[in-house]
Amino acid sequence: MKALTANRLTDGEVVFWKQGQWLDRFADAELFDDEAVAEAAEAHAKTQVTLLVEPYLIDVAEVEGGVAPVSYRERLRALGPTNKPEHGKQAQGGAQIEILAHAHGAASSKGRIDLIKRK
Amino acid sequence: MYRYDDIDQAMLTDRAAEFREQCRRRLAGEITEDQFKPIRLMNGLYLQLHAYMLRIAIPYGALNSAKLRKLAWVASTYDRGYGHFTTRTNLQLHWIKLKDAPDILDALAGVGLHAIQTSGNCIRNLTADPHAGATADEADDPRVWAEAIRQWSTFHPEFSFLPRKFKIAVTGATRDRAAIRIYDIGLRLHRAADGELAFEVLAGGGLGRIPFLGPTIRERLPARHLLSYLQAILRVYNRLGRRDNIWKARIKVLVATLGAEEFARQVDEEWEASDKAAVDLPDTELARIRAGFAPVGFETLPPVSAAFETAKLDDRAFARFARHNITAHKQPGYALIDVSLKAIGETPGDCSAEQMEVIANLAERYSLDEARVTYEQNLILPHVKLDDAPAVYRLLADADLATPNIGLISDIIACPGLDYCALANARAIPIAQDIARRFESPELAEKIGELKIKISGCINACGHHHVGHIGILGVDKKGEEFYQLTLGGSGEDDASIGQSLGPALPAERVAPAIDQLVEVYLRERTTGERFIDTYRRAGLAPFKEAVYAEAH
Repeated sequence: MKALTANRLTDGEVVFWKQGQWLDRFADAELFDDEAVAEAAEAHAKTQVTLLVEPYLIDVAEVEGGVAPVSYRERLRALGPTNKPEHGKQAQGGAQIEILAHAHGAASSKGRIDLIKRK
Repeated sequence: MYRYDDIDQAMLTDRAAEFREQCRRRLAGEITEDQFKPIRLMNGLYLQLHAYMLRIAIPYGALNSAKLRKLAWVASTYDRGYGHFTTRTNLQLHWIKLKDAPDILDALAGVGLHAIQTSGNCIRNLTADPHAGATADEADDPRVWAEAIRQWSTFHPEFSFLPRKFKIAVTGATRDRAAIRIYDIGLRLHRAADGELAFEVLAGGGLGRIPFLGPTIRERLPARHLLSYLQAILRVYNRLGRRDNIWKARIKVLVATLGAEEFARQVDEEWEASDKAAVDLPDTELARIRAGFAPVGFETLPPVSAAFETAKLDDRAFARFARHNITAHKQPGYALIDVSLKAIGETPGDCSAEQMEVIANLAERYSLDEARVTYEQNLILPHVKLDDAPAVYRLLADADLATPNIGLISDIIACPGLDYCALANARAIPIAQDIARRFESPELAEKIGELKIKISGCINACGHHHVGHIGILGVDKKGEEFYQLTLGGSGEDDASIGQSLGPALPAERVAPAIDQLVEVYLRERTTGERFIDTYRRAGLAPFKEAVYAEAH
């Protein structure tokens, strides 16, 4: 599953594509199951040069309670900086924000910490 | 402090006007993003994760009340009421709108501030010893020479398209407080035995993917030849530096490839063939710049202040602050006061507009209208009377700026990391916050003593992790954050590159691992040993064992 995102030219705000519109919330993003449709939307977005900077497709997956971007970076873009919860999209709060904030990505490793065997 | 002359001021005004027109054309669709991006970057305007970021240059970290107040005004008018001081002693504003950028540059130009050469493959903002002009161990004021380099390098046509960015640090002191060994060029002023003022010149230091400490390529360069010799270094780099691979394009790779001796030989050859007099600063011009840094307003005071000594006896918190945040001044009766931007649980280097106003007022009233930015992301009031130190402390404390932790475990360097930066792989700020909270107790921090933790959210190493006593590097594993620890780095006189402790840890394991490392240190240390000394004596093994041994 994919979504289409970009930064808005005038203020850099993170925006998401929904059927020809650019909206602020990831919760409103159109989700593409069909890769060709996603790429067509991306190609169109790349022509909107007075609206956007660097539109691109992101991977999205089902998580508990809904869907979320797979990569931590994209979840962070959809939320805002974690050191200032009052800034960014997360400031609005709500169930959709909570889903993103609690989503996990593809990495399953918890780190290799028990490496040294004590005798 | 040095004030820009009419030529400088006209340049800033013209540049702001030019950028206004370029922004208008971009917003109107007359130029594309590909065409505009290098232009906005040359004006310090980056596009990051959530918004545009404006990187404002603070040449050699020097601020006064007017500049601080203007930064506070810009932060509260056009941003979200705060700014972030960086390891390059710049100020970054993280929530800027493109449409506001021309107005901001106009406002900054009014007080001699700008964002020129804070990006791009040119000579970047200069950094210098933040104790300049206030420390007794100084052969000469490095700001004089840093300002000369700033004027020479600004819009320098020959060096505006180098293979990669280029950073210069200058100190005039015996003790290195400017991290000159990790710079493309490091300069240390000293007075030779015969009294001549000279530079020790280091070249080819740098962190990033391949860290190097800069070797000395010339022990004694007569100070008057600084600019012609810098030109020779830049010319050799411009000619031979790699342009085919961004990861190998910094001067450090060239110096390491040629060897310091051969690099120095080629620089000498270029230097001797050049018309030195055409580039070197005339004595009259040097004197003009020097006059801008002449000490003004010091009073003749006794070296000991009764008010200061009494305050230390009466107030334990002030005594602790004095131990860690107050340093001796060359002028009797004066001191340097470190303003900690590392309040426990806050973002390292962040300063709110209100705090900037407080520091501006303190600088104006108590510090001969000067403040400095340090590469360790703190500020300094450089010229405070010891008699006034208790009052300054109280006013700083009221603004949450008096955490007594300079050089201690919670005085952590952290880059903005993945919370803001488009290049980052992992967050740095929350890791710093976790560690600071864990070592919140000032008694514990003082017991541990000097311990420099430095955190970068990616291999570009803006957080100087390679030279942290404990370095922490954020990495990305399948889209999630992990952290590699290094031990034994230092960016100071005992400079060294840290060694990897072991495999990367998940975020929640980092602060506990720091705890384990500190436990080993407290157990193993002998009298007078700092963390890094114990590491250097005992080696990696006991630390590695503590963090990676199988849990029971």
